[in-house]
Amino acid sequence: MEIDVEKLKRDWAGFTFDTAEFEAKSDDLVGFAQACGETDKRYTDPAHADFQAVPNYPSRYVGRRILPDNFPRLGGGYGFDAGKCVIPIAPIRPGDKITAKSQIHDIYTKTGRSGTMLFIVHRMEFQNQRGEPVSIVDWRMVQQDRGAK
Amino acid sequence: MSLTYDDVDFGAELPPVAPDVTLANVRRFTAASGMTFGRFSDHEQARKEGLPGAIVPGIMSQGILVALIHRWAPNARVTKIDTIFRAPILVDSHPVARGVVTDKNDETRSLEIDLTIQNEAKETRVVGTATVELP
Repeated sequence: MEIDVEKLKRDWAGFTFDTAEFEAKSDDLVGFAQACGETDKRYTDPAHADFQAVPNYPSRYVGRRILPDNFPRLGGGYGFDAGKCVIPIAPIRPGDKITAKSQIHDIYTKTGRSGTMLFIVHRMEFQNQRGEPVSIVDWRMVQQDRGAK
Repeated sequence: MSLTYDDVDFGAELPPVAPDVTLANVRRFTAASGMTFGRFSDHEQARKEGLPGAIVPGIMSQGILVALIHRWAPNARVTKIDTIFRAPILVDSHPVARGVVTDKNDETRSLEIDLTIQNEAKETRVVGTATVELP
């Protein structure tokens, strides 16, 4: 199947296809931070005056859908997680109710030794219960594709 | 030890860290992050999925790199971290996380830090860059 990446972008990028809500729980904030080797008490001690989630904490959240309904099935292989970019904007505190909105932010290809890889950038924008933006997470999903142009 | 922007030279290396990726600690991470997939927490299940053993979740690798920065500069504010998961890090292996300052921006008093996690064979499995602000 030949895939027109520019058409895919025009058709699918830039609109919200999923909204999900999460609660930031103190025990999870501590467990996440300590397992990663975090030593700063801002991230590991709930009694600290500035206790908050580590900057990449929202990367743990996954929406109800990874791709929009009816998004075309691409390539013949399986996809994998190629990376994540996190832009922390404001602290996430225990008890915060976090709303995440998902969209396809970008679609592009790269060609390497193993052929052409199709990258789909899934963006989640997070805000707290006061409507304040707290983080943006871009998740690069890769699919090996033999027909991208 | 708190660092200031002026304390840091271009090319400065962050003290390397040998993160704990034992099965027990990775299970602690997966419990806290809700990533309760067998490929992260069970060697046998991972092998059934074609992996050589259980693997460290990518976002845990990212968290290890954030912790590396905070150990070096506890007062640093990470304003961006971008990681590429080139290849899996195996649970119960002995990786090393490293960082080096590759740029300084005097206007914003921010640093660019290149980050890596290598396995025992010195293969770079995770690469990343972080933007960090210091007072």
